[in-house]
Amino acid sequence: MAVIIKTENLSKTYSGKIKAIDSINIEIDEGEVYGLLGPNGAGKSTTINLLTTRITPTTGTALVNGFDIRKHSMDVRKSIGVVPQDLTTDEDLTGYENLMMVSRFYDVPKDTANERIAKLLNLVDLEEAAGRYVKQYSGGMRKRLELIVGLVHDPKILFLDEPTLGLDVQTRTQMWEYVRDIQKKLNVTIILTSHYLEEVDALANRISIIDHGKILITGTPEDLKSSLKGDIVQMTFKSQEDADVMKQFPQATETKDFGPNIVRVTVKNSDEVLPSLINYVSEKKLTIIRMTVQKPSLDEVFLQYTGRDIRQEDAGDVRKMMMNMRRMRR
Amino acid sequence: MSGLVPLTVRELKKWVRNPVFLLTGLIQPFFWLALFGSAIDLTKFLGAGLPPGVSPSAIFGGASNYITFILGGILVITSLFTAMFSGVNIIFDRRMGPMGRFLTSPIRRSSIVFSKILAAMVRILVQVVILIAAAFIIPNGLVLAHGFSFEAVLVLVVTVILVALIFSSIFSVIAVRLKDMNTIFGIVNLVNLPLLFMSYAMFPAGIMATWLADAAKYNPVSWAAESIRTVVINGTVTASQVSNVEWWMGSLAILAAGLVLLTYFVAENEIRE
Repeated sequence: MAVIIKTENLSKTYSGKIKAIDSINIEIDEGEVYGLLGPNGAGKSTTINLLTTRITPTTGTALVNGFDIRKHSMDVRKSIGVVPQDLTTDEDLTGYENLMMVSRFYDVPKDTANERIAKLLNLVDLEEAAGRYVKQYSGGMRKRLELIVGLVHDPKILFLDEPTLGLDVQTRTQMWEYVRDIQKKLNVTIILTSHYLEEVDALANRISIIDHGKILITGTPEDLKSSLKGDIVQMTFKSQEDADVMKQFPQATETKDFGPNIVRVTVKNSDEVLPSLINYVSEKKLTIIRMTVQKPSLDEVFLQYTGRDIRQEDAGDVRKMMMNMRRMRR
Repeated sequence: MSGLVPLTVRELKKWVRNPVFLLTGLIQPFFWLALFGSAIDLTKFLGAGLPPGVSPSAIFGGASNYITFILGGILVITSLFTAMFSGVNIIFDRRMGPMGRFLTSPIRRSSIVFSKILAAMVRILVQVVILIAAAFIIPNGLVLAHGFSFEAVLVLVVTVILVALIFSSIFSVIAVRLKDMNTIFGIVNLVNLPLLFMSYAMFPAGIMATWLADAAKYNPVSWAAESIRTVVINGTVTASQVSNVEWWMGSLAILAAGLVLLTYFVAENEIRE
């Protein structure tokens, strides 16, 4: 398959020192759904903003549909559709008028535009609401409209930046269906950022985990899970000495400190290894306070590579979510 | 791919669809005319204090009543006020989200700003037509010496447009990087009184304090008001008046051209989310 996006040491530094993106090299194939997963402030949106020419890189560059984002930003913009994190439709216009206005930004002939708009409205079940003002839309309807505004010029690549941020669980799964439908029927390459693991797991066929502006690992969800090399046993001990002894466990394929007195031990098959692990613990007279066993999941992958639980990040989003909700309700 | 047309259409749709915005914009200048214009009766105001043989209208450049004198000023003020607020919509777009869409679209970034300026000009021209009609209708209203000539209308329209360009450009440049619209409101409140009263828009130089009359000479609002006044009041004009109007309008045109260029460069390079 042809490579449609390729970054070359792409970096963005703010105010001379804060490295939002640090020398990223990724390749995205035509037709794939590529997920960029990371906590808040990891650099997801900065990466999207760079690739969509909203900001310019400090060093390095990227080719999008063969066009350099530094030198041919207009050509890049014509090749891509963007659904930014924030709402961009005009509330005082109808859904149809919003779509028509953006069509005219791309010089789409009127007949073609009308045809395409009808098809897109049908795709996200907004035909009936098309003539209504956007301010009368529900939150989910507005997000659906946002989704197709980025598609009126039939782009080759669609960027979705946190497409379901602030939506309730039901609306979110509905949005996933629409995204899958769009990918299938329009055959467009999708680049998706999210900090919802389920979302990336459900939609993407290839994932990169990003944190502190660096890509930590890239692969299919299956690759990532098997990269854990087995199940993870996490144990909290009474003392660091006990924890250090645990790290000597002979059947561990990998061990990792995970905070004071906490050790994560990777084993091939926890069902078979656990008995001998218990034996080891009593033999060495270690005191365990807490113990959990995890089969490979994207959560565990994330935890393993970033050292953080992605769910802890949700709290920071409340403010942004509330802002979006408030705007939607008006 | 300029985006100028669809964006201007959008601005005008929003204007026409908001009845309060539409009506207040049309009624407010009418209040200026009806209340302020009728407030001063020339003969009462100046009659007793004038030396014998000098008619009150001489002080007002030959205008037979105050409304006739002040019309040029009010047209310019209306243009000025509407233009000063055209930048506010740039901040609105930034805060409400559409700016994000515009910036990822293959349109010229300056078209985002110029669409607001164009829409403001359309609104101003509609206001001008309504004001002139109103000036005729109200009792003791507009009196024209010789009616409207083609040249008079041309001078009127071009002057109003130049004023619109000058002030909407200045305020758009201010708005390009601003996030808080209160800043714009603050600046408008600060400058509108000096712009208004340090000019010949409301009063002729003859009744002003000398320092004020001198300062008002350099105010573009004065140039514009005087240009319109000269052609509207006199109908046919003398050669010296023609050269005055040419001088004023030329200065306005140069100022407008410079500011439009500045707006273009600032908008192309500096507009952000």
